[in-house]
This record gives sequence, C-alpha cells and structure tokens, in this order.
Amino acid sequence: MNNYTESKIYSVSKLNKYIKNLFENDFNLQEIWILGEISNFKLHSSGHMYFVLKDKESQIRCVMFRGNNRNLRFMPVDGMKVKVRGDVSVYEKRGEYQLYVKEIIEAGKGELYLAFERLKAKLRDEGLFSEEVKKKLPFIPQNIAVITSPTGAAIRDVITISLRRFPNLSILVVPSLVQGTSAAQEIAKKIDFLNKHFKDIDFIIIGRGGGSLEELWAFNEEILARSIYNSKIPIVSAVGHETDFTISDFVADLRSPTPSAAAEMTIPDKNSLINNLSLLKSKITRAAKRNFELKTEKINSVSRSLKYQGPENKINQYYQYIDEFSARLNSRIKYLVELYEERVKKDSQRLDSLSPWAVIERGYSICRKIPGREIIKRLEQIEVGTKIEVIISDGKILSKVEKKEVVSN
Amino acid sequence: MKNKKKVEDIPFEEYLRKLEKIVNQLEEGELTLDESVKTYEEGMNISKICLEKLNKTKKKIEQLVIEGEEKYSTKPFSEKKGENTINEF
Repeated sequence: MNNYTESKIYSVSKLNKYIKNLFENDFNLQEIWILGEISNFKLHSSGHMYFVLKDKESQIRCVMFRGNNRNLRFMPVDGMKVKVRGDVSVYEKRGEYQLYVKEIIEAGKGELYLAFERLKAKLRDEGLFSEEVKKKLPFIPQNIAVITSPTGAAIRDVITISLRRFPNLSILVVPSLVQGTSAAQEIAKKIDFLNKHFKDIDFIIIGRGGGSLEELWAFNEEILARSIYNSKIPIVSAVGHETDFTISDFVADLRSPTPSAAAEMTIPDKNSLINNLSLLKSKITRAAKRNFELKTEKINSVSRSLKYQGPENKINQYYQYIDEFSARLNSRIKYLVELYEERVKKDSQRLDSLSPWAVIERGYSICRKIPGREIIKRLEQIEVGTKIEVIISDGKILSKVEKKEVVSN
Repeated sequence: MKNKKKVEDIPFEEYLRKLEKIVNQLEEGELTLDESVKTYEEGMNISKICLEKLNKTKKKIEQLVIEGEEKYSTKPFSEKKGENTINEF
C-alpha cells in the first residue's frame, strides 16, 4: 500500500474548506428552522452568544453573532424551548459543523407568531419595509384622516391630543372595524377609498388601542400591508402595543406605539411654533437694528477720516495759509506804523512851536476846574462859586467864578 | 418672493429655514445698508406668511360615510362614546 503518492493529498484546511462548501451549497441546510432546548448558554463579552441546541437523542453547537442577537427581546437561558432560524456551516479552525443562528423564538409562541415571521420575511425581501420608499409627512398637517373604530378610546385620544397641539386642524374620522376576520380587508379598502377621493389629506392614521396578538391580527395581514404600501397618502401606523411590532408598523411611513403617540408625533405643537416664530422675528429685528447702528457708526467714522483726507482738510489748509498770511500782513503793517511813528518823532521838534505852551507864552491861558483839573471850554461846565485855576506862562492863578455870561460872537 | 412657486406650495418648514438664514445673514453683519433693509423686510414678510400658514386651516371634525364605490358624504363627528352608528357594520 505504498501508492499514496499517486492519489491526491489534501491539507487539513483545504479539506475543511471543501466540506464547508458542501454545507453551504446544500439548500437543505440554509435558512432552516430547528426546534430544540437551549443548554450550556454563554454570552461572550464580545456580544456573541454560544450555546448548544439539543433534544433527547442529539445536540448541535450554535453561535449567534452580536449583529443577529441585537434584536432579541429576551435573554435565552438553559432549558428554554426555542425555535431557531439559521444556516448550518463549518467552523474550519476546529473542523466542527455548527448552526449559525439568526433568530430565536420561544417555542410557546405558536402558529400565529410563525405566520407573522414568515410574512414579515417575505415582505421585507420584496422591499416593502425599505426606508427609501417611505414617504415624508408634512411638517404642518392641515387635513388628516383617522381610520379606526369610531367608538373606541383610540379616536378620542387622537382627536383630543391633536386639537390640544394644533387647535385649528381638520380631522376626518373614517369608521372601520379594527378586529376580526374582515377588519384587515376593511381598513385596506378605506385606505384605497381615501386615496381615490381625497387628494388633500396630508396623512392617514390607522390604528387601535392595545390588545392580544389575536386582537391585533388585522394589522399583521398581507392585504393591509399591501394597501399601506400602495397608498399615495402617507400612512401612520398606530397600533397599541408595548413590545412587538405589527407588519403594518414595518410598512407604514411612520410607526408609533399607540394612537396617542401617533398624534404627539405627527401634529406639531402650534404654541411652540408661534413662540419660535416670534423669537426669530425679534432676532431679526435686533440684528437689523444692530446692523443699522454699525452702519451709522461706520458713516461717522468715515466722515471723521474724511476730515483729514477730504475737501474739508483742504479748506483747513487754506485757513492756515490765510492765518499765516495775515500774520505776515500784520507784522508788515506794524513795521510801517513804527516807521511812520519814527518819522513823526523826527518832525515833533518842528511841531513844538504849535504846542499849547508856546501859545500861552504868547498871552493865552488855560482854565481848569478844581478839583478835577478839567479844562473849561464851555459855561455849562461851571457854576457860580466853582473854584478854578488859570494857567499862564509862569504860574497859575486860583480864582472863583463870580458870574456866567454868554458872549455872542 | 423672487421664487416662481406660489406661497401656498412652499411648505412652512422651508419658510422657517429661510427665516433662520435671514437671522444668520443679519447677525453676520456683512450686508450693505440696502441689503439689510431688504433682508429685514423679507424676514418680516416671511414670518407673516408663516403665521398665516399656521392659522389657515379651520377646525373641523367630520365623519366619512361611504355610500358606495364612488359615493360618499360627511357628517359632523361627535366625540361622545356610542353616539355614532356605523353604517358598514
């Protein structure tokens, strides 16, 4: 038996890769549901879950990666009976085959739940849940329609909350069954009817208050899902439930946990909008005012600097020139005046002959009042009895007025 | 509005965005005096439009009565429990 060289020799990793390929190309091992009991459950710090799924006779290793177990709504524990969905493949490093789990459902959930999961997967694959096809709701709705029971708490909540938030809103109540076998079809028909006859409706809220899975079932039916998907008017799903979603939630353009929440989410609070508006308005006024002030200040500073550079400065320069010129003129005048004064002095000797003393020498005299030394020129300056002095060439005579007499010449 | 679109066709939120832009423009203070007067007036005009948009609708609560494939009517909806009879039931 020495002919091993003639047959092919594989490396271990090649072999495991080959086996892995076999598993992954086998349709029977992909996307399958397995029923079993969890044991040896471990949640690794990486977020991945490792456990063993077993029944009475057998067991299989399972791994559920973090990306898949993120949506789990319960923490698996040992001994829990579950249905898991996943692919069987090979962990090449150890040469072990295992189940790569994508979803875990508690086994007690029953047929409805599985039907729900199947429909959900189907519609998701068709793209009905895709974010790109979701329509945007208007920011300020004016006309809204509500498809629900006209007698339930849901419609009262929607109306009360909507009007509290936006008092002048137009609401069209579209009565419909919301539970029972024909409910899904009826809601779907109402959606189609509104699309056909009411072009000005901003969006439609469909919903009801909370209930059991069976009571909410209408919102998990395909006919309703398709009607929501086909609606040109945006749809808001408002089915009361705490934890699980309905198919309607996934297809709708907006989902909300309760009818009240739907109103809160879709109807803007008019008061805060108005407050916001007046805030913006006062901001604009303030900013505009500040702008004008800045501009005024700029104009002032520009005109200030213009004084140094502009015509005004030229004028000032001329003023200065004029000042200098007039100073020169003044000194010239002063010089001329001094010159003339000098000349006058020189001439003064000649003028001496004209002085009063020369006249007195010739026999004239000067009369002055005592006291005051005021030269008397007219009679009105003196009274009878006024003391006077008469200045003559070599002295003065003190005398008293005896009589006043007008002399006409 | 330089925009060719009609005031009714421009959504509230677009006007709100414009208003915020105007606030920014004015607060930056880069506008000329003429521009800031114009911008201020536009801002006041837009805030008026916004308010009009908020007050445009009238409060109305009606109930749809479907009378056939193509036929329907509306009647006032009373919020009192049990007062409404539903034709379809």
